[in-house]
Amino acid sequence: MLTNKVFIKKTKSGGVMKIVREHYLRDDISCGSPACDKDCEALDRYPLEEKPISDSKLVPVPHYIVPDTNVVLHQIDILEDPSVKNVIILQIVLDEIRHRSAPIYKRVKDMLCNSAKCFYTYCNEFNMHTYVERKPKESANDRNDRAIRKAVGWYADHLIKAGIEVVLLTNDADNRKQAVAEDLMAFTVHDYVKSLSNQSLIDRLANPLNQSSDFGGKTLFPEHLGLAEIQKGIRSGKYLQGTLLISRENYLEANVSVRDQENMVFVQGLYNLNRAVNDDNVVIEMLPEAEWSCPSSMVMREDDAKDEEDEANESMTDTETLIRNKVPKELRQPTGHVVGIIKRNWRQYCGILQPSVIMERTRHLFIPAEKRIPKIRIETRQAQTLMSKRIIVAIDSWPRNSRYPLGHFVRCLGEVGDKDTENEVLLLEHDVPHANFSEAVLSFLPKMPWTITEEEEKRRRDLRHLDICSVDPPGCTDIDDALHCRELENGNYEVGVHIADVSHFIRPGNALDQEAANRGTTVYLTDKRIDMVPDLLSSNLCSLRCDVFRFAFSVIWEMTKDADIVKTDFTKSIILSKASLTYAQAQIRIDDQNDHGNLTKSLRGLNSLAKILKKKRLDNGALSLASTEVRFHVDSETHDPIDVQTKELRETNSMVEEFMLLANVAVAEKILHEFPDNALLRRHPSPPSSNFGPVIKAAESKGFEIDVSSGKALADSLDKAVVPENPYFNIMLRIMTTRCMMQAVYFCSGMLQPSDYMHYGLAAPVYTHFTSPIRRYSDIIAHRLLAVSIGADSSYQDLLDKSKIQKVCNNLNFRHKMAQYAGRASVNLHTHLFFKKRIQDEEGYVLFVRKNALQVLIPKYGLEGTVFLNDENKKSSSIFVYNEEESTQTAGDVIFHVFDPVIVQLSIDRSNVQHMKLSLKLVKPQVPGFSVPSASESSEQQEMDTSSGTSLSSKSNADVGKPPQKKKKKR
Amino acid sequence: MSVDIRLASSRGKGADLYHGEDPGNIVTPGDVITADTGFMRGHGTYMEEDCLHASVAGTVERVNKLVSVRPPKTRYNGEIGDVVIGRVIELALRRWRVETHSRMDSVLMLSSVNLPGGELRRRSEEDEKMMRSYLKEGDLISAEVQNVMSDGCLSLHTRSLKYGKLGQGTLVQVSPSLVLRRKTHFHNLPVGASIILGNNGFIWLSPTQDEQDGDTGGYQTNLQPVSHSDREVIARLRNCVLALADRQMLLFDTSILHAYEASMKHTVKELLKPEVIADVVDLVRQRMELEGS
Amino acid sequence: MAGMELLSDQGFRMDGRKSNELRRIRFKKGVFNQADGSAYLEQGNTKVLAAVYGPHEIRGSKSKALHDRVLINCQYSMATFSTQDRKRRPRGDRKSQEMTSHLKQTFDAVVLTELYPKTQLDIYVEVLQSDGGNYCASVNAATLALMDAGIPMKDYVIACAGSFTRETPIIDINHLEESSGGAEVIMAILPRCDQIVFLEMNSRLHEDHLSAVMDHVMAGCKDIFNVLNQQVREELVRRTVQDSLVDSG
Repeated sequence: MLTNKVFIKKTKSGGVMKIVREHYLRDDISCGSPACDKDCEALDRYPLEEKPISDSKLVPVPHYIVPDTNVVLHQIDILEDPSVKNVIILQIVLDEIRHRSAPIYKRVKDMLCNSAKCFYTYCNEFNMHTYVERKPKESANDRNDRAIRKAVGWYADHLIKAGIEVVLLTNDADNRKQAVAEDLMAFTVHDYVKSLSNQSLIDRLANPLNQSSDFGGKTLFPEHLGLAEIQKGIRSGKYLQGTLLISRENYLEANVSVRDQENMVFVQGLYNLNRAVNDDNVVIEMLPEAEWSCPSSMVMREDDAKDEEDEANESMTDTETLIRNKVPKELRQPTGHVVGIIKRNWRQYCGILQPSVIMERTRHLFIPAEKRIPKIRIETRQAQTLMSKRIIVAIDSWPRNSRYPLGHFVRCLGEVGDKDTENEVLLLEHDVPHANFSEAVLSFLPKMPWTITEEEEKRRRDLRHLDICSVDPPGCTDIDDALHCRELENGNYEVGVHIADVSHFIRPGNALDQEAANRGTTVYLTDKRIDMVPDLLSSNLCSLRCDVFRFAFSVIWEMTKDADIVKTDFTKSIILSKASLTYAQAQIRIDDQNDHGNLTKSLRGLNSLAKILKKKRLDNGALSLASTEVRFHVDSETHDPIDVQTKELRETNSMVEEFMLLANVAVAEKILHEFPDNALLRRHPSPPSSNFGPVIKAAESKGFEIDVSSGKALADSLDKAVVPENPYFNIMLRIMTTRCMMQAVYFCSGMLQPSDYMHYGLAAPVYTHFTSPIRRYSDIIAHRLLAVSIGADSSYQDLLDKSKIQKVCNNLNFRHKMAQYAGRASVNLHTHLFFKKRIQDEEGYVLFVRKNALQVLIPKYGLEGTVFLNDENKKSSSIFVYNEEESTQTAGDVIFHVFDPVIVQLSIDRSNVQHMKLSLKLVKPQVPGFSVPSASESSEQQEMDTSSGTSLSSKSNADVGKPPQKKKKKR
Repeated sequence: MSVDIRLASSRGKGADLYHGEDPGNIVTPGDVITADTGFMRGHGTYMEEDCLHASVAGTVERVNKLVSVRPPKTRYNGEIGDVVIGRVIELALRRWRVETHSRMDSVLMLSSVNLPGGELRRRSEEDEKMMRSYLKEGDLISAEVQNVMSDGCLSLHTRSLKYGKLGQGTLVQVSPSLVLRRKTHFHNLPVGASIILGNNGFIWLSPTQDEQDGDTGGYQTNLQPVSHSDREVIARLRNCVLALADRQMLLFDTSILHAYEASMKHTVKELLKPEVIADVVDLVRQRMELEGS
Repeated sequence: MAGMELLSDQGFRMDGRKSNELRRIRFKKGVFNQADGSAYLEQGNTKVLAAVYGPHEIRGSKSKALHDRVLINCQYSMATFSTQDRKRRPRGDRKSQEMTSHLKQTFDAVVLTELYPKTQLDIYVEVLQSDGGNYCASVNAATLALMDAGIPMKDYVIACAGSFTRETPIIDINHLEESSGGAEVIMAILPRCDQIVFLEMNSRLHEDHLSAVMDHVMAGCKDIFNVLNQQVREELVRRTVQDSLVDSG
């Protein structure tokens, strides 16, 4: 069964080395087809279909498809289509994909796992019949092609009796010719796809490289350097390697963060960028100092890039030189130009088609929603139908003679402006994994009906007799915390925080765990929740709903009446929540004098303790900051928002929060003690005092002094800054302070000095996240660490590896940031939808005074908007005079200070379809020639707007979903 | 001078005639020989958990109640009366230490050698001082096992005129198990050479001496040059012995003579080639079978 | 991502073996005439020569002699050309010394040492080509050499290494798998009495998986044992058949 081949490899690492590795060839590898009549190894489940139905006119008989590497790499979108089935991915192809593109490798693996796709990996390299040895002077690629042909030939022979053909798909003309010469069926993907009945697939074909030659022979870009040359250049220091970050303002300008170097290198102009796209790993060469440049203040306008390429091309170089000459010497930054690209980081991009004069043309330009991505040229026959749609496009290549990268259409998301479509867009643009959970992931879910085994019951502390309840926002289905409190005989209180035991269900390392680790967090959009773990866990088995037995991880304290902790205990437990309350319900119970139930007593105990705890915490220097959070009242049928409201805070919110903080701190201390090197913690660095400049200045204008020397001082001085006539002043000050803060991040304790563990906002020396394992992966890790430290669970290798933990942290930080952005974007989206049909006047306060604008906060909606003071259209000099010292804007006799109340008119600016903006116009105080009449006066306009949209239905308002962030983001 | 160089791969494997069934008495270390407690534990076995296990790889031999395992290759286990050939490696107080391929160095006491000048001579202090003049380091001797000590050390004697220091000749070393125990281990072969088959696997080939010379106990070595023909005979014998040993053939006068005769169609140096060895040994084997039957 | 995948989704290791499959084993006993016993063993690309001298009189200082058992003297060395990077010194470095003492321990446990008091037994092992599992190949080769020399032993000593990747134990790991950073469990056992005479673990492995890996490695040892034992027996059979033919003559 084992035959042996030893092959010899030469690698270069300083010198030439001969590597001899064994390679066993076997004869027991199954072909994976149930139709096989040879003595293949029998499988439990055959991935391929016994009678594949042929859909192709080219091959009208049953057949399996074997794509070569480049086909898989470039045409993955085709392969992913549900109508493409019965594909054999050769091992050699899979290996090559793994080396060349991690994302595509993952997609292929997903397909291989999906039984409906009927994909099979055939290990041709290990089979004695299909292994080929590299001939002398044969290139690795030629050998691989030969191996693929050999495997196809073997398959064809193997299945000849079963009546199944095997078709090789390759776009390599040479390979195809040789395959045909060997009597194999071989086609290009394009021919094959065109022969399918599903014509919509054609659009998704990626442009083959050679097709670009018919763009006219003019080369616009210098050639990229070869890898060998790049390596030599980097070693000698001639070239620098780094990641390209295109400026958000101008897609023709970019910075390169060079490896091991602090300063960014500036790259300007299409020619210098040399076809590099945002995020690519590029190699740059520095320009001589005389050619150094600086970012131009000019904002790229959409209409700059004309469709007529030639014109743009010619002007391209000219304008560049112009700009450069104007740059004064002192402003010049180190500037370079891209000479090569090490790794492309192309992904799929959302956007819309650029309207074209001739709709019938198949060639179109695509405008990505992300401003940093250049337009992409695609070919489609369905331009007309796609015109007003959000679509996804992938880049295939960027040849030297094309101004734009070439791409292909992947799929259509839906109508522009449609809520689902826009949601999808914002998820995609924020890189939020939101696909349905794959079969592999779901296979690790517990089987229903789920019961508690006796063994588990023995291992856990039984807390089912306690009066435990959960307090959450209304409509919450993923309840991950519950509380209880009871008086002990010695007069102390026993307080318990019970957290859903998610780590019991998600075992380390399996597909479910990997998926959760990748997602990192549940993402809350205004009307939608993107779960981190499948619904069965998040809303059922892990959710601590009332009246069912649930596994929990409990932190139980014994406290004195003054909330001094006597004892802390961690245990895995079984609980039975007596009630799932909302904040309001809990509040009512506490306030109801006549209610003397156990549960209510428990709540009152908690509440009183929480107050003491909060006071202690604040005395300790914890900050109480403000941010504006809104919630939408959504129409139950159209799911359009019909009212906006800022979130209301009750005592009970703070009560729950207090205990969660307490639990988090307790757990953080415990796991740090047990795992000084690999505990997952959360830190919040103290901001440099220079950050506070704007706040101090703003407070000064009202005569208050803000002391930022310490967290405690800051909290105190914020408390003092109250203006009786302007109740919103203090809140605004706090909002401004929030903006000055640093981001709180996860980290692994072994990677930093203990002095850096500090959580500034909470004034806690160590902190972690433990209390929301259903929606945060960090909490799962914390659970696992805690479980190991109390001996309730076993550890595993990755948990003890600090660099692995740090890697997890980095991903979590990224996902968290993205989830926040997505959440905010979702709020924006809904705000836009809300104002789509109305123009409204609202009261607001000036939050900042800028050079050309006023930033206005509208408390009613928790919105913040900008009133531009110089009209863009007229381009005339502004009537406003800006005083930088006092930060005021003066127009005639009207002076705008920070915190001044104003009335603004809200409406939607639709000049840009992709990026709709909320526009604010000043109503009061009136500035002649600038302010607009109030909305009620211009009612005609409003009527016009409402009639164009669908009329509002006044059905009952449903309050759907959780607010964007359940807890304050500072925690 | 031409040298014959060949790759290992070009060597013929030789016909595998005896690809046979397991005769049933083959054991490897750790094998259980018997669970019956009625047996006595012999060499190459050990008892554990009431079972008799083999400790070496070889064939099981039963002599009445005694069970032992004989490995094909081992160090020499001396028995009283064995003829051995050894090399003096060290002089000690009133004794010589002799290497005989036993697990310990053998001892030849000054008192158990025949000294020139009569059998009944007293060993004086003078003799002790003269020891090195009789036998010095590196000398080869033939001797007989006089006694086996408790720790396995052999005590030798040369108190017969046939034993003593060996003069000109060739030493061949083979596995002790290949030397067949016979009545006599000294042979004057008709082909014109003498052979001493030491039980310890050392085989001494020398030109045949005149009768009276042999009686000196070898203390005066004959340093007369040996004729070329004698040397060739000795060389051929040496190669024949090695050939037989290579094929695990038992060594005794007849087998060696047969081999010598069978080898006559080859030159002496050809006898080192594997295929010639195979040829010669096959011929010997056939002849022995014929004569045996 | 582009790193190596020790075990593919299809269950194959990088060299085409499955998780519980051994590399090819070939060996030859009696390769030296001078030594009392010797063996050459290949486990995949790991190639080892072992030679046994003795038991013989103690060489050097007689004071090393043990009054009740044989003194086992081991020497482990690696040829300068055995590794990818040429080695500076074939023996005497820390690793070789460690290996030497491991071998000594291993064989002290299995040779019936009390049979030959006051004598010495030399075991020389030289790695000619190293592709992982040097210790294992050394032990296995030395076992064969001891057997060739007819030294009484309790049982075969068979060694095998294993690792753990993707929730699966893999056995008889080669150099690539050894150097991938995972845990390495090395075991030497007496295959017929299921005794462990040597157990070493490098790097960290979770306790939960240890027994699984050990079970697989143990099974691997037994597989190696079967391969070796079969050939040893075959050779013995061939020899005895020959002997019996001669004896009859």
